[in-house]
Amino acid sequence: MRGLRLRVVSDGWRRRAEQGDAGGRRPWSRLGLRARVTVTFGMGALALSATMAGLTYFTARQFILHERETAILRQAYVNASLARSSLRSPTQNIFQLLDSLDTLPGSLSVLEQRGQWYATSISVGKNAIPVRLRSLVLSGVPASQHFVLNGSPEMVVGLPVPSVDSAYFEVFSLDELARTLRILALALAGAALVTTAAGAVIGRWASGRALRPLEEVSKAAETIAGGRLRVRLVAADDPDLSALAASFNRMADALLERIEREARFTSDVSHELRSPLTTLTTSLGVLESHRDDLPVRSRRAVDLLTGEMRRFQRMVEELLEISRVDTGSAELLLDEVEVGELVRQAAHAAGAGDAPVDVDASISGLRLRVDKRRIERVVANLVENATLYAGGVARFVVEPAPGGVRMVVVDHGPAVALTERDRIFERFYRGQTSGRRGTTEGTGLGLSLVAEHVRLHGGRVWVENGAGDVNRFVVELPSSDPGQVAS
Amino acid sequence: MTARLLIVEDDERIRASTRLALEDEGYDVDEAGSGEVALERFTEQPSDVVLIDLMLPGMDGFECCRQLRRTSAVPVIMVTARTDTHDVVAGLEAGADDYVTKPFVAKELAARIRALLRRARSVDEPSVLTFGDVEVRPDEGTVQRAGDEVHCTRTEFRLLCELAANPGKVLSREQLLDRVWGYDYFGDGRLVDVHIRRLRTKIEPDPANPRHILTVRGMGYKLTA
Repeated sequence: MRGLRLRVVSDGWRRRAEQGDAGGRRPWSRLGLRARVTVTFGMGALALSATMAGLTYFTARQFILHERETAILRQAYVNASLARSSLRSPTQNIFQLLDSLDTLPGSLSVLEQRGQWYATSISVGKNAIPVRLRSLVLSGVPASQHFVLNGSPEMVVGLPVPSVDSAYFEVFSLDELARTLRILALALAGAALVTTAAGAVIGRWASGRALRPLEEVSKAAETIAGGRLRVRLVAADDPDLSALAASFNRMADALLERIEREARFTSDVSHELRSPLTTLTTSLGVLESHRDDLPVRSRRAVDLLTGEMRRFQRMVEELLEISRVDTGSAELLLDEVEVGELVRQAAHAAGAGDAPVDVDASISGLRLRVDKRRIERVVANLVENATLYAGGVARFVVEPAPGGVRMVVVDHGPAVALTERDRIFERFYRGQTSGRRGTTEGTGLGLSLVAEHVRLHGGRVWVENGAGDVNRFVVELPSSDPGQVAS
Repeated sequence: MTARLLIVEDDERIRASTRLALEDEGYDVDEAGSGEVALERFTEQPSDVVLIDLMLPGMDGFECCRQLRRTSAVPVIMVTARTDTHDVVAGLEAGADDYVTKPFVAKELAARIRALLRRARSVDEPSVLTFGDVEVRPDEGTVQRAGDEVHCTRTEFRLLCELAANPGKVLSREQLLDRVWGYDYFGDGRLVDVHIRRLRTKIEPDPANPRHILTVRGMGYKLTA
């Protein structure tokens, strides 16, 4: 898969996304975009520099070779004509003649006269000269040929000298030329390699620069996914990037709007329910106060109504409370209060009966800035939870914790299953043991509100196992000003 | 003598049901569907306690409360939708004595009304409390500053009496809520704060730098001469 494409996700998309679709892909596309750009730049630089090097090499080679051949031929003709004029005098010693010839370094002369062969070197004689060229020259045609002798490149020029019944051959070593060409080739190949590497480096750098804004986008997306919905991208005056930033920001705006609309909807619904609920509760209150005047069956109906109305009212209040947290409009009303006393009062108000409140001596009298109403709700909801599902509260403990205080509500059990310990703080989560005790059910929001209230204070709440199959609901509150951590 | 209440609420059904419930509690109940009507009714026949919904069509609850306060020190309870908005503080600053949140329970509302109607004076209080140039006469329900009459609402007066009867002693918000409003431990501290602020503007020479009613940070309030 190259680049990005759109996909509409359905159920189970997460699973597929985790498995990934890398399995069927070819190695090339498995490389990242940056690696691919790097490789492409490198390959491009290689192709270009190799072509340039090749052209340079062959042009240089042609030129050098041509120069050399011209020099060789000129020399051979000069020597042949020298040999001819010398051989005209019959007294001439052929060996002396060969020695006197002006030869280039590394070149050897071979002379044939009437079937006799003479050479300046023992190693190079008649046999050193390729047969075809030899016969061609002996038949009266001047010729030249490149060949390899003992592993080194040579060039031989053969010139018939018919006036003295001879043929003059000169063998030139091209070793030095070959070495020069080899060095040139090496230099060019080196240059090509350097160019390739430079291309790859430029590719990597350029793609890095081009992708840097993408990293910013990805960071912003992560931040938004993490819940900070008001993060936006700012594009400097770059016209290419501002389009990306604008559409990203539009997406974030749309997302925020949708989330807010949903949260607002819950809030609006609960709000609209208030007026009829007020009429209902007050009217029911009137009925209730005349309960004794009612026939038995009506009395029973009023009792049922009263119970459900109370639950309904709580549910609406708690929904409103939660939607306030969701819309971010929840505010802490901080008061400086004595923690131990607050818990004692809240436990009493919540009807925890005679469950003792043990305040650790080291923090008795400690004052914290908290939202009294919210902490009271926390205690009340924990008490209610214990009453509904765990035989009531056994005792309360208020003790110091690192950086704050800890309030523990211990119940009579049974303990919450390990797998459910996080989930019971979710909204409307009904656990396995839910509803086993008592006939009245909670609203299903109690513990999730506990979590929200505690979170607003910058604290945390969890449940752990106490000795003897009981639960310890632990609320930890920081002693620093919670106003700074509230979102 | 039965106390007379005025309910200012635009929702007819809430009005009717609240009236039923409060009549059961033994009050004479008058109704008004808007702030304008409420002010007219009150001028015709003053009530002992007024209940004002903040969300009214036309003149809103805040304005209604302010208009009422110009001519009367009648105890006012406002009905608000939320406790943690600025509505509560704004309502208290407009002159309300207390508030309830919708949906309210009639019994609790009746308790709030009873607390507001309760007489503040206890028998063993001296007949005159003085500090600085301020004179408080609990028997007569009057406050004088440098010889001039200071107009206080009933709640402000009771708050001032509590503070003046305990000079130099720090009273916590909870204590004041309990003694003046009849709230338990979980009353709203803002009730005290706003009323203290209003009291200061009436009796302090410089309300921004109070000399008599002092805030003791993290503890509460105290009165010094």
